[in-house]
Amino acid sequence: METVVQNMINGIMMGCIYGLIALGLSIIFGVMNIVNFAHGDFVMLSMYCTFWVSSLMSVDTVATIAFTLPLLFIFGILTYYLIIHKTLRQKYITQIAVTVGLMTLLRALAQLIWKARPRALPDSIVRGTIVLGQYTIMLSRLSSALVSITAILLVSLFMAKTWPGRAIRATSDDLDAASLMGVNYKWTFALAFGLGSALTAIAGAMLMTFQQVDPTMGLRFGLLSFCILALAGLGSTVGLLISGIIVGIAESLAMGLWDPRARSLVIYVIFVLVLWLRPRGLFGRK
Amino acid sequence: MQDQPLLSVQHLTKSFGSLIAVNDVSFAIHRDEVLGLIGPNGAGKTTLFNSVTGLYKPDKGEVRFKDHNITGIEPYRICKLGMSRTFQVSRAFPTMTVAEAVRVGAYNRHEEREVEEQVRRMLTFFQLEKFASKKCEDLGLALLRRVEIARAVATEPELLLLDESAAGLNATELGELMDMLKSLRTDQDITLCIVEHVMKMVMGICDRIVVLDYGELIAEGNPEQISSNERVIEAYLGKRALQ
Amino acid sequence: MKPGFKKLLPLLILLVVALALPFAMLSNQYYLILLTTVILYATLASAWNIIGGMAGQFDLAAGAYLGLGAFTSGTLLIRWNITPWIGMIAGGLIAAAFAFLVGYPLFRFKVREVWYALSSAALVMVLRVVFMMWEQVGGPTERYIPFYDWSFYHLRFRSYIPYYYLILIILIITLWLNHRIRNRKLGYYLLALGDNEEAAEILGVDARGSKLKALMIYAFIVGVLGGVYACLYGFIHPNFFSSTISLEVSILGVVGGVGITYGPLLAALILVSGRELLRANVGGQLESLYLVIYAIVLIVIALFRPQGIGSLLQKAWEKLTTRAAEE
Repeated sequence: METVVQNMINGIMMGCIYGLIALGLSIIFGVMNIVNFAHGDFVMLSMYCTFWVSSLMSVDTVATIAFTLPLLFIFGILTYYLIIHKTLRQKYITQIAVTVGLMTLLRALAQLIWKARPRALPDSIVRGTIVLGQYTIMLSRLSSALVSITAILLVSLFMAKTWPGRAIRATSDDLDAASLMGVNYKWTFALAFGLGSALTAIAGAMLMTFQQVDPTMGLRFGLLSFCILALAGLGSTVGLLISGIIVGIAESLAMGLWDPRARSLVIYVIFVLVLWLRPRGLFGRK
Repeated sequence: MQDQPLLSVQHLTKSFGSLIAVNDVSFAIHRDEVLGLIGPNGAGKTTLFNSVTGLYKPDKGEVRFKDHNITGIEPYRICKLGMSRTFQVSRAFPTMTVAEAVRVGAYNRHEEREVEEQVRRMLTFFQLEKFASKKCEDLGLALLRRVEIARAVATEPELLLLDESAAGLNATELGELMDMLKSLRTDQDITLCIVEHVMKMVMGICDRIVVLDYGELIAEGNPEQISSNERVIEAYLGKRALQ
Repeated sequence: MKPGFKKLLPLLILLVVALALPFAMLSNQYYLILLTTVILYATLASAWNIIGGMAGQFDLAAGAYLGLGAFTSGTLLIRWNITPWIGMIAGGLIAAAFAFLVGYPLFRFKVREVWYALSSAALVMVLRVVFMMWEQVGGPTERYIPFYDWSFYHLRFRSYIPYYYLILIILIITLWLNHRIRNRKLGYYLLALGDNEEAAEILGVDARGSKLKALMIYAFIVGVLGGVYACLYGFIHPNFFSSTISLEVSILGVVGGVGITYGPLLAALILVSGRELLRANVGGQLESLYLVIYAIVLIVIALFRPQGIGSLLQKAWEKLTTRAAEE
């Protein structure tokens, strides 16, 4: 029983981070109906960026966000203009092809440049553990979870209150209507892509406080975010957070109680079940 | 058997969120008649069409075709039973040629061996032989409409629903369309239901008319009855004048 | 019959070349291996064309079906000494069954293609884990298929040449299937679905059924190839459930030209040879370099020539055949 609760606690914390990653994907998908296959690798990329910024500038892991956030934002916008934009008029399969290509490119480049050797950072300011009875909570994970929740809420506010945010929401809801109201869809698409990518910077930095990075991580985060996106459906930011937590708990329990190798199995099963039984997702509107 | 309607819509209701697009509509279509479905813009005609042909699932109500309950079943199954339709905003097959588009419909009732023959028959009937190898995306509006009807008729339906086929046509094209529809009825033995704004066509070929306004059925009758119906005139007043 | 013959002539020439090639390479084992690898990928990609090109689904599960075929056929051979000639058919059937399970919920009317793509990618990963954990059939170590110098029954040969011809036969069948599907009901239905799914449905096209048919045909072919694959390599291992192979196959399909029958063949000829040559000259250090190149080629083609390099082939073909018709 003890292990179950411990795993659940870990799962909840990881789930918050996963939710943040999935939010990035969701923004892009909601706006332009494109699933960025390379999204998981964006996370991997941001983790490597965190590693390099922290090592080269001797900055604390958490502080690197100040550098990596704008970096990933620009990267996202560039990706949109250079790669995505042209395919919007093409067949859907071409749109998928191009993000699959990007995913392959990033993963293969990472493997080429950084080899398979994982990289890790020394402890950041959020080190140590809290002990609550029989349960241990790593401060790094806890703070990551809290940062993620804060980021999700901030994005929620952004989407509701600011003009660019509302433009994104309007475009997701109804492209034609939004255009009629003066929203430049190209600009909105680029912004959405930039924002979605920037969120991975936050997640990546926080992940580096307690994890190491290697070139294959893109696969894992990709699968996680697609699963959470399917589970949550489109339209609810809070729904994404909850779905993230559900998936986080499921993954944690599977790893702790069954077999560490079974983590992707559980995620896939959830994924398929959702698509089969409720393609709209738990909180979806479309 | 004679008074069993071909299509029977009972208490159909369809809403989108809080907007009730079609509210408790009931009507029937009988064999060999031409039924007109009219109403001001936004009255719910296309929603009704989509709910009958399987593209939307109605919230309430039942649709029966040839005494089968077809409420909410997949569109392709409805086609197999013998109902086909055209679309208001053309859903052409952009990369396919006219002959290929018609062929897709022809496969509904014909096996590989006879399909070429059926395609040829349809192209001849709709006078499309000249355009057989032209790509659908290169066609003008009137021809595109004809192709849409041709491919729907190729499926050999007993009931054909037409969604605003006359919109945007000039007087000559309209006349041709009306003749074509009349011959569909006599030569091909197809029952027709048309959704229309163009009153000339409605009054010209319909036996019976059903009027929708704000999602509700407000009148039913023959053309003379409808054109003098007060509620109908009121519904159109301020939005469009009856021609 | 004369003009028809003229049309087939280039194909016949190609066939003769393909049949004769191994003998030109008898002395050089390396080229023989290259040839066999190229033709294997050409067949995989040509099969992919059925689901990717004609049905418009970006499938990333080639590795899944390949692995299933390999494990079915291999296990039947290793455990019960059942000939791979039966084993590969069994492998194909099991792969098709899996494909049905994945496709059935995802090909429902109005579910977007992207979910199938993601699901297929995940299928490969999951099967790999499952077979790694499944000690009785899989497990982390290779399971070896008994070695024979020359056994038709066990489909084991010392040389690559028989495998080459076997795969060549499967390739020809696959290309023929491509051709046949395209010109008959299923092909028209798939084309219509791709152009406008709603319009196709109301004309009587069963979207889910049509896509499932295409998927299962493709999965069957890949499953059969999996059976051959196992005998070719002489062992079975969960790494056969390879995401990399799946990616490569789909890249070949897209670069070749989505929907163009001989496109994937051309793409395989160029890209797979290129990859092997790269590997030979640069070696293990820069293994991933070829993937980088593949990815760049994919992106470039998708952006600038989405019809694929096969479209160039098609244009050349049309010029050739119209000239032949004029003569």
